[in-house]
Amino acid sequence: MRTAHKIMRIAYKVLAYLVAAEVAVQAMVMVWAIAGLGRWIDGGGVFDKAAMESAWTPFPEAAGITAHINNGFFVIPALALLLLIVSFFTKLRGAIKWAGLVFALVIVQVMLGILGHQLTLGGALHGLNALALFGTAIYAGRRLRPAVALAVEEESARAATPV
Amino acid sequence: MSTDSGRRRALKIALPILATVAIVAPLAWPWHASRLPGSYSVMDMGYLDYGGGAAPDPGGGAHGGHMQGHVHGHASEPARMITDLVADPAPPADVRVDLVTRQQTLTAGGRSISGFTVNGTSPGPEIRATQGQLIEVHLRNESVRDGVTLHWHGIDVPNAMDGVAGVTQDAVPAGGEFIYRFVADQVGSFWYHSHQVSNPQVAGGLLGSLVVTPQSGIAQQIDVSAIAHTYGGLRTINGKAEDLRVPAQPGDWARVRVANTDNGPMKVWTNGTYRLLAVDGTEVHRPTEVSDRSVTLTAGARADLEVQAPSDGTAVRVQLSKSTAVILGPAGADADAPVPPQPTADLDLLAYGSPTPLGFDPAQATRQFDYLIGRRPGFVKGRPGMWWSINSHLFPNVPMYVVREGDVVVMHIENRSGEVHPMHLHGHHVVVLARTGVPASGSPWWVDSLNVLPGETYDIGFVANNPGIWMDHCHNLKHAAQGMIAHLMYEGFDTPYRIAGPADNQPE
Repeated sequence: MRTAHKIMRIAYKVLAYLVAAEVAVQAMVMVWAIAGLGRWIDGGGVFDKAAMESAWTPFPEAAGITAHINNGFFVIPALALLLLIVSFFTKLRGAIKWAGLVFALVIVQVMLGILGHQLTLGGALHGLNALALFGTAIYAGRRLRPAVALAVEEESARAATPV
Repeated sequence: MSTDSGRRRALKIALPILATVAIVAPLAWPWHASRLPGSYSVMDMGYLDYGGGAAPDPGGGAHGGHMQGHVHGHASEPARMITDLVADPAPPADVRVDLVTRQQTLTAGGRSISGFTVNGTSPGPEIRATQGQLIEVHLRNESVRDGVTLHWHGIDVPNAMDGVAGVTQDAVPAGGEFIYRFVADQVGSFWYHSHQVSNPQVAGGLLGSLVVTPQSGIAQQIDVSAIAHTYGGLRTINGKAEDLRVPAQPGDWARVRVANTDNGPMKVWTNGTYRLLAVDGTEVHRPTEVSDRSVTLTAGARADLEVQAPSDGTAVRVQLSKSTAVILGPAGADADAPVPPQPTADLDLLAYGSPTPLGFDPAQATRQFDYLIGRRPGFVKGRPGMWWSINSHLFPNVPMYVVREGDVVVMHIENRSGEVHPMHLHGHHVVVLARTGVPASGSPWWVDSLNVLPGETYDIGFVANNPGIWMDHCHNLKHAAQGMIAHLMYEGFDTPYRIAGPADNQPE
């Protein structure tokens, strides 16, 4: 049982850090794409819906947009869902709460991403919420530092002792 | 005591498992339900939406529901097959065209692109007719492996001639033939394209122009079509990756028929003034002179612009996006003139031209439908993803809009999906009644392809006057392939064709 918990705790930590790393990747690929777009336009290039919808990309950094969409719609929600499921098995106080918060922020982030195409202010909040998500995911992962984990484990062991 | 702790232990193990099941299990049913049978009729898709109108007599075949069984409408009468809905077979054709489709490599702008041709070129030959003529097209598919069909985009043909694989006909396999017959009773600029595996086939160039002119001819000296298409990122007009130069004498008037055959909206503007004569083939009533405004052509849309070659011997440019232009003027004039800056505002078609009667009263609508476009997580064809939804439902569990012949129909379209959608209803022209709550105040704005931006709502109206089973879908054909397809059906009609099946029909 204890080994199972340990594995789950490692999984929790890894997943939380993966979410944070993915948020960093999202910021990077987006700015990379915008930098590429800027350079393309500077050179007199055109980038419009027809170009965007065609299979061919005029500048290589446009791949950043595709990466952002795939990460944001699929990879990050899947990681956050896995984190939430794993949190049920860690037997650590607060693990579910923080994983739940990460999951909720991911949902909000996806919704703001979609809204941003309609109300551009939603895009600004998407940027802000990314920081909140990044911080929360890092915090969730860091809560499982060995000392904390040990203390909580002892506490839960005491609580489980038959009277 | 020990049993108590044992129970707690058991609970401790069971709770997380139960919580996991509570999250994962609700995903299983939608996944299962989203899988499609090997072959199916579109009549079995989704659920019936009567739009507040009369439902067919109960007790008969009107079940509907997700893949549950056929609905025919009147239970008392057998359903009529849409295969009967053809042009009068007796009269001979006035315009006969032979079209041969091939799968081959295209060369444009010094590049080779794998694509499709009609009579050896892409776009295929332009079909021209005068109003009232009977057009007969003999299609022969020489080598397109997935099969082909031809859909007459914007022409409200009889249903059996609509060219939608699996709905109005079987895909024409390589070596197969099909004859399309319809009367060109609408004047205007249209286009044709394959509606079998249409996403790659249209992108690959299986398309062409179709123009119907009035018997009295047109008022302009020059009549030119400009088919905008992007082949693998390469921008072209009429298949050439360069500006289209049209010889014109100073003072000549020209009617420039622009068609957008791509998947997203395109802006059109000029370096001088223009009049927008027609939208999606329908004449604008009393169009006024426009300057410093662009016209948005959504995917599949057409616009006829009237421009005049300047009297000083320079050229007039009609920009089809920033990339390509139609240049009209004396030879050599201004061929390298700078691209006129893109106007920052669009010509608002809601208020362009002058009002004239619609021919029907939308206030007397007998059917009122919603077409709400969203985006949500779920499963389509067994695959998880963020999918387009129609009235919160995912394909194929989308509404089947049911009407009776003669119904006055209004539809409320709303886009909350975060991406633009070019909405295309087959077999009908619809008139815009209001956009985001603002009523139309100009010429009746009749469309077959409507640009619906994120956050916009449109109220449209039409008369149900062309019986059959009609696609009502997004003309960003990638989105259609992702399930943005609903249908409008007339009560009492059925189709013998099936999606997939022996003919391997894949309309999207």
